[in-house]
Amino acid sequence: MTSSLTDLRRDVEDFLYREAKLLDEQRYDEWLGLFTEDVRYWMPITETREVRQHRDHVPGEWALVEDDSRFLAKRMERLAGGLAHSEQPRSRTRRFISNVLVTPEADGDLVAESNFIVFQSRRANCEQFFVGSRRDRLVTFGESWKIAERTVLLDHRVLPRAISIFF
Amino acid sequence: MTSISERPVDVAAAGLHDLVKPDEGAVSRTVFVDEAIYRTELDRIFTKTWLFIGHESQLSQPGDYLTNFMGEDPVIATRSADGAIRVMLNSCAHRGMAVCSTDAGSSKFFRCPYHGWTYSSTGDLIGVPRADTVYNGELDKSRLGLKAVPRVEIYKGFIFANWDEDAIPLVDYLGADQLWYLDLAFEAPLGGLEVIGPTMKFRIKANWKLAAENFAGDDYHVLYTHGSAFQIGFLPDYDQLADYIVHFDHGHGMGDVSKPGRAYQNDVGMAQFLGPDAIEYVTAVHERLQARVSPLQAEMHGLGEGNIFPNLSWIKFGAFHIFGLFQWHPKGPGEIEVWQTAFFDSAAPQSVKDFARTQMSQENAAAGIFGQDDGENFEQITESARGVVSQTRDFNYAMGLGHEGEIHEEGYPGHLGPHFSEQNHRNFYRYWLELMTTPGEQK
Ligand code: FES
Ligand SMILES: [Fe+2]
Repeated sequence: MTSSLTDLRRDVEDFLYREAKLLDEQRYDEWLGLFTEDVRYWMPITETREVRQHRDHVPGEWALVEDDSRFLAKRMERLAGGLAHSEQPRSRTRRFISNVLVTPEADGDLVAESNFIVFQSRRANCEQFFVGSRRDRLVTFGESWKIAERTVLLDHRVLPRAISIFF
Repeated sequence: MTSISERPVDVAAAGLHDLVKPDEGAVSRTVFVDEAIYRTELDRIFTKTWLFIGHESQLSQPGDYLTNFMGEDPVIATRSADGAIRVMLNSCAHRGMAVCSTDAGSSKFFRCPYHGWTYSSTGDLIGVPRADTVYNGELDKSRLGLKAVPRVEIYKGFIFANWDEDAIPLVDYLGADQLWYLDLAFEAPLGGLEVIGPTMKFRIKANWKLAAENFAGDDYHVLYTHGSAFQIGFLPDYDQLADYIVHFDHGHGMGDVSKPGRAYQNDVGMAQFLGPDAIEYVTAVHERLQARVSPLQAEMHGLGEGNIFPNLSWIKFGAFHIFGLFQWHPKGPGEIEVWQTAFFDSAAPQSVKDFARTQMSQENAAAGIFGQDDGENFEQITESARGVVSQTRDFNYAMGLGHEGEIHEEGYPGHLGPHFSEQNHRNFYRYWLELMTTPGEQK
């Protein structure tokens, strides 16, 4: 690996850690600002199938999340409105981002892959972990990046709970 | 100090009739948490009623299979070489290992991972390793197939199964009155309904009945539980959406039923916003309905949501809405595994498919803004029902009590009620009580 790729990866890690911090601190407006106007945020449904009958996730199938920036903003507006009972009071969350791999693309954009563990603690004793991976397409924005595409793959077949937090 | 004079309900002593009093609008919290009552439900409800298994399109080729649950019993549904659809227990006749561990796929046989007994897609035991020596050739394979669910019936592509050999036919269980409405969901699609992706699955730490009764017609909760959806403009004014709820025999109920013309007008308005493809589509759907169902049904055009007793809920607003099924699989008295299947019109224009699909994920799904808030209610209700003092206070289902039968809409079948009423909950618990107090034979 060239040292410039190592530097790039460090910068991307830094970007992803800061993103995680914004979510853990519920700084949702700042978080929204990390996405491009035309972002595609996609979380397909995990399946359990025979080894030889594996299917790739197909765009056009329904998904856990399939949002554009407009609806991501609606989700934030909902949280701010005080009537989103699933996050009223807010969950405590702690995100651990790791295994970051960066692949530069010809046009200067890059693909960042990462793994995550997200701990959610709600109310008194409603606690769970969500585990999975992400594949982000980052486009250059000033000195940093914006997320133009995010695919989240949760490793759970049966989710421990409905999803009221972000990945 | 006021003392709690009533003792917490002793289930062994109290008859179910003392716990569940639909005609008084009262149901004891005990029935949402008690282990013995839960076991009785599995036996007297989930082995006696028609339960949803899957859709024919998911088993289009011989060898196709899918797995599901009937109560807590795991089952496999297959289409075998003879074209027939069968449903059988997903548990080896030898010592109980699951013979299939996947969601769905295609296979000519199921081989048990434990000792390798092999079953055909009809459930017959066709292979036993070293049968001649270890069993001295004396094993009667014909008696050791996978246990078959005796009744499997299909309504317009939807496969249901019933452990009760003597059950009334599926169409009679669903009932002509309920199907008068539900048929709109099945007849409107131009190309038929197709499953549009994997089953979505998540857990809610709540009693299954709380979700079922909610979909059976708890439209009252929409105003507040889903207040955020109105707040952010995701939904129009709720009073513009629907007018009634309605219930039927066998505990089935439906909410967000609208006056003739309302749903079509709403869809036409939506189509203006979505564009020319959508305008053409909604017109074609409407013409198709006019050709296939009664004029009044066609005028009704769209549905709302409902619950097919015991644990199959559904949602289907107008032509631009997914037909969504929710199975509230019980996992003990305090936990539900939700299985959600989404269907849409295979012949709809791509732009309409895209709209309907994303709308459903954003609305009534695991991360949808409705789904999240519903689950939060069901969990905290279940938690509070565990307290001994809590259990001295019945849940209150009295809304509209003494005013049933006052609502009429010419030609609408079933027992109609105002948009906000708990008549459908009472109907749900009336049938629940009937089944729970009817002893069944040993399975
Ligand atoms: S348990 Fe299935 S072969 Fe023994
Ligand atoms: Fe709801």
